[in-house]
Amino acid sequence: MDPELIKDCVHCGFCLTTCPTYVLWGEEMDSPRGRIHLMGQHVGGTPMTGEMAGHFDACLGCMACVTACPSGVRYDRLIEETRAVVEREHERTPDERAVRAMVFALFPYRRRLRAMRLPMAMSKRLQPFLERVNPSLGAMAELAPPAARPVRLPPLVRARRRARARVGLLTGCVQGEFFPQVNAATARVLALEGCDVVIPPRQGCCGALSVHSGRPEEARRFARRTIAAFERAGVDAVVVNAAGCGSSMKEYADLLAADPAWRERAERLRTLDLAEFLVRLGPVAERHPLPVSVAYHDACHLAHAQGIRAEPRELLRGVPGLELREIAESAICCGSAGTYNLFRPEPARELGDRKAERVLATGADLLVSANPGCTMQIAAAVRRAGKGEIRVAHTAEVLDASLRGLDPGALGRAPRTGRAKARAV
Amino acid sequence: MGTRAVEDAGRDERAGKALAATGVTVRPAVPGDAVGRVRPRWVVLPETAGEIAAVMRVSAEHDLAVVPAGGGTKLHWGAPPSRCDILLDTCCLNAVIEHVAGDLVVRAQAGLTLEALREALAAAGQELALDVPVPGTTVGGLVATALAGPRRFRYGTARDLLIGITVVLPDGTVARSGGKVVKNVAGYDVGKLFTGSYGTLGVVVDATFRLHPLPADRAWVTAGFEPPGPLGDADRAAGLGAALAAVSGSQAEPSAVELDWPDPDGPCVMAVLLEGTAADTRAAAVRGLLGPDSDLRPTPPPWWGRLPEPPAAQKGEAPESRGREDEVLLELRITPPRVPGVLAEVRRAAGDLGVRAAVRGAAASGVLHIALHAGTDAGTVPGTDAGTDAGTDAGTDRGTDGGTDAGAAARFVARLRAEAEDGGGRLLVVAAPEEVARRAGRWGRVGALTLMRRIKERFDPDGRMSPGRSVGGT
Amino acid sequence: MSALESLTARLRDALPPDALITDPVRLRTYECDGLTVHRATPGVVVLPDSAEQVAAVVGLCAEHGVPFVARGSGTGLSGGALPRTDGVLIVTSRMRRILEVDVPGRRAVVEPGVTNLAITEAVRDQGLYYAPDPSSQQICSIGGNVAENSGGAHCLKYGFTVNHVLAVEIVTPDGEIVELSEQDAGYDLLGAFIGSEGTLGIATKITVRLSRAPEAVTTLLAAFTGIEAGGRAVSAVIAAGVVPAAIEMMDALAIEAAEAAVRCEYPEGAGAVLVVELDGPKAAVDREFAEVERLCRESGAFEIRIAASAEERAAIWKGRKSAFAAVGRISPAYIVQDGVVPRTALPGVLAGIDRLQEEYGIRVANVFHAGDGNLHPLVLFDDAVPGEEERAEAVSGLILDLCIEHGGSITGEHGVGVDKSRYMPRMFSADDLDAMQLVRCAFDPRGLSNPGKVFPTPRLCGEVPGVRRGVHPLVEAGLAEQF
Repeated sequence: MDPELIKDCVHCGFCLTTCPTYVLWGEEMDSPRGRIHLMGQHVGGTPMTGEMAGHFDACLGCMACVTACPSGVRYDRLIEETRAVVEREHERTPDERAVRAMVFALFPYRRRLRAMRLPMAMSKRLQPFLERVNPSLGAMAELAPPAARPVRLPPLVRARRRARARVGLLTGCVQGEFFPQVNAATARVLALEGCDVVIPPRQGCCGALSVHSGRPEEARRFARRTIAAFERAGVDAVVVNAAGCGSSMKEYADLLAADPAWRERAERLRTLDLAEFLVRLGPVAERHPLPVSVAYHDACHLAHAQGIRAEPRELLRGVPGLELREIAESAICCGSAGTYNLFRPEPARELGDRKAERVLATGADLLVSANPGCTMQIAAAVRRAGKGEIRVAHTAEVLDASLRGLDPGALGRAPRTGRAKARAV
Repeated sequence: MGTRAVEDAGRDERAGKALAATGVTVRPAVPGDAVGRVRPRWVVLPETAGEIAAVMRVSAEHDLAVVPAGGGTKLHWGAPPSRCDILLDTCCLNAVIEHVAGDLVVRAQAGLTLEALREALAAAGQELALDVPVPGTTVGGLVATALAGPRRFRYGTARDLLIGITVVLPDGTVARSGGKVVKNVAGYDVGKLFTGSYGTLGVVVDATFRLHPLPADRAWVTAGFEPPGPLGDADRAAGLGAALAAVSGSQAEPSAVELDWPDPDGPCVMAVLLEGTAADTRAAAVRGLLGPDSDLRPTPPPWWGRLPEPPAAQKGEAPESRGREDEVLLELRITPPRVPGVLAEVRRAAGDLGVRAAVRGAAASGVLHIALHAGTDAGTVPGTDAGTDAGTDAGTDRGTDGGTDAGAAARFVARLRAEAEDGGGRLLVVAAPEEVARRAGRWGRVGALTLMRRIKERFDPDGRMSPGRSVGGT
Repeated sequence: MSALESLTARLRDALPPDALITDPVRLRTYECDGLTVHRATPGVVVLPDSAEQVAAVVGLCAEHGVPFVARGSGTGLSGGALPRTDGVLIVTSRMRRILEVDVPGRRAVVEPGVTNLAITEAVRDQGLYYAPDPSSQQICSIGGNVAENSGGAHCLKYGFTVNHVLAVEIVTPDGEIVELSEQDAGYDLLGAFIGSEGTLGIATKITVRLSRAPEAVTTLLAAFTGIEAGGRAVSAVIAAGVVPAAIEMMDALAIEAAEAAVRCEYPEGAGAVLVVELDGPKAAVDREFAEVERLCRESGAFEIRIAASAEERAAIWKGRKSAFAAVGRISPAYIVQDGVVPRTALPGVLAGIDRLQEEYGIRVANVFHAGDGNLHPLVLFDDAVPGEEERAEAVSGLILDLCIEHGGSITGEHGVGVDKSRYMPRMFSADDLDAMQLVRCAFDPRGLSNPGKVFPTPRLCGEVPGVRRGVHPLVEAGLAEQF
């Protein structure tokens, strides 16, 4: 916790209303301003009490406060540093430790995730039981999307027109296992827009989960592996379609700052979000009409951490016949926040319910977002509200449907199959 | 008894001497100086804040009750004082102290009439945007009664434009609050307390107001409406209500939306004022809302900015001149959407009780004045069913001593007040014969009466400033 | 057991468990509001979620003779919500329901913790809005606005909180729930309560007037080489009889800060920028706008930008609205000052500020509501340099003296709070302050509601008629004097 960064906060309070936990509880110590104050107390010699750690843990890391802050306080860095201090100095309860151990042993590893698909499907029926054993297990079962057929993407997808760029595609752990059709759609869209798409088969977790949970060493290990994988691919840029992964990869240089050689390699790696990349590239492929109304949800790690709000909207508006609707309180997190909905299921659910209510209020046919965690979270909240299955899709899927002239009715229909996969490519 | 008279005389003499010793102009009061039938003993004519303070110190020393007066135009308003020894006439404090046109601010003494102020400001192309509906009103009277005219819709009332005040407290302390800048949040706004205080907290010496540039153009649009139906005629009420909503919410940005209903059997007229840049274009837009029968006029209708006159006792007769002792003036404060409904109730209640009332006021602000004669239709009150019906509304006011006319007026007040307060509004008896006021009560519901009494207690612990003139005996 | 301890025990019974904070680490996060130079850890914090709970807490405070302080979002800039270590901090951040929106009657009833902007957001679809717009409107609470009588950039035309609040339900310092309404006959207690900085009680329900969104809004950004030329333009506009919705000015240093913070991209080389906004009927706005543009050019504007869309308008305002916090980008520390001068005195006062800068070697960035002479000088300093903070404090105070000398005020919208109470005797005489004290005594004879704010010396009221009390502990301790 860098005291200089703490000092940047002038206590103006502009962050308060953008903070999901402040929105929920209205307490100073569960606002960014209050948490920075707590950091200051800790730096000033107050030991890390359980109460203090609880308020840090309660932070979703959505970074809405970073967007709102007129003084440019680096809350993102502060909370990352703080989480590492909490992990070092705060003794968690055995229950908390067990859940954390399981999550960190599972999510960053695709093969382990894959192995979990069947038990997860079964766990739906066991959810009430799991909920009683441990709310986090209950949340996990509730959130799990229906099992998707695995998709194996080829290591290289050639541009479908004159190549304008050679890009790498990060497939992501959760995205790759639970939403393989999103990666397939991303590859197709890139190819149709004139990109050679390299998909390194041995890529692992980007380290986002670890970095956001105060496990910097683990994060650095994942980061180095990811950098190496894409260096070998020889690409102009790495395109990422999962907001959480993209924001972590853009911060690799900071994460690896202590090691000059790795920092330099990190700086050379050009990471771009899919929407950001496509807008910069400019559209060339023909957009077929897609008569559908879309509520676009700003994933925090896209909107706040990467400042990307206009680009996805621009892409969606570029689809003829598509009607874009704004969701009220768009800056407030849906409660997914990486692993937050697993570690802190109650507030996550409240936030999910709040978001679902506003999403449903738009009356849109389809919810579109750029982060798998968000869509899982909101879909679960809609289900909880007894409103059935909401149709959700990734921006890439919408573009894919438009470029290929598909029926919009098929977008976001569950259960999905991975069959659409690379056929068009 | 004899001793007491001698004691009183001695006290009077001592007080008179002390007053004279202040050097302030003093004259013995004459019957015409009475404040609501209470005749003071002296009239003082101070010329400075210091002189007012000197008078107040003497009054404190000799326990004399003081009533400040400006133009004397509204002394019959509010309750008469429970006692009055000194009438403090501010007519000699009639200067514009400071007017810096570039700052759009004026500081004026309490005794200056608003007409004189208007003239002084007009020379610089500016105005105090309050059209007080009583000619001859002074700055002090404006503050004390918080009276406002048509343009309250746009500019608010005295409280909204008052930015500073100097007062003399009952113990002779000269105190100031606010200042001469529009934007100022330093300290309590004592000026706000003095607006509507009826002289019960102290004497206003001078007041500073925010000004506005005189509008380049003005235009009025008038339109007639069927009177709100006595039987709650939904169509008529809806017509008026829709027009009112459309005009007051219009993008033409009217400065005032007035309603005049002088004769309960005649039509009701709405007049809309547009002022400032592009007044004509905007007036045309308002005409579009009020229909082809509406008129565009460069001057206000004759009744504009005046309080309503009580209608003649009988249909068809000419209204009598103002100033009759049985005149009742009411102020209705409701939310604007309720105006048509409440007007219908005015007509119903008037019909039931044999009262003839005229209504006029700022409909878009929900503030309407109602005028009637307490003696209206005396002897011809259809006492039977109407009386019974209203009697229940008026509660216990079934006394026989005041005659049927005062009773009818009081019951009228009670019915309207019930209707107003039912929707969160108020009905104030601004001026009325004592009997009517006694039966109906002057002020209606006041949410914070205890706090008001405590304010009075702190400012005037001896109860010497216009005692009893305002709410709850303050 | 101290009074606070026995009170805390009673609070535990009166409130749900999560509405009471006693943990010292948590309490400390409430030690200051938006003004961080004054800090005091509250004795206990309560987070009521209804007027009844507020009344219960205040009633218990009265019973135990414990002082209490109300706080909304804690964004105030005068330390008005500075807690008492021996008292209760009553935070209204959980009272944020919009209770009623009456579209035809153009009013809304809200709880005090509702943010200023949330009201507008709730009624925007109906073409309405809540007019007062302090720069912190996205976060400041309406309860705080009532306490401070907040203004904002657009108060030049539309007035302040006091002109837009129709009624408040308050909890009086003895724990009673009372309604103050503009409709009531008698003294304007509503007007006196608004702006009383929490010293007369706590607002628990607020009825606000909603205004119709104007038909047309036009915003112009004019760049000048210096403040003087900008000031000439302001005078010319006012003299022409135009009342803009807002006229805001920023000097070169403030522009630099805003540029660093939000990349507002104001014209290169501007020594001052003027933001002028006109709103109202389209026909009127169009004509007046042409006039304003002409007057700006005649006064020496070298570049004029006109916002063609809501986005462009937002871009022009972005720099202005973020200016305070943005100064953090160009200076390690700074003081936000708030003073008012008659508009015609602006040139003299600005020259005076320049002299102070030179004399004390302290930089001052100027942001101000030029239309109503409300200055917000930002006095910059580096707290790592010994003596600089003291010099900045001195300059900041001298600026207020300049304002008073020119017939102005020590605060236009931030309030007196704890920060400026010592300047009150410079602006008001002892008699003036005594008259104000009478109001305080009527509402709060025991001085328990936000004591130590607004007025320089804590003063206790004389005997309340009919009730006798012993010597007040504050008098006994030599902390206060009897009024």
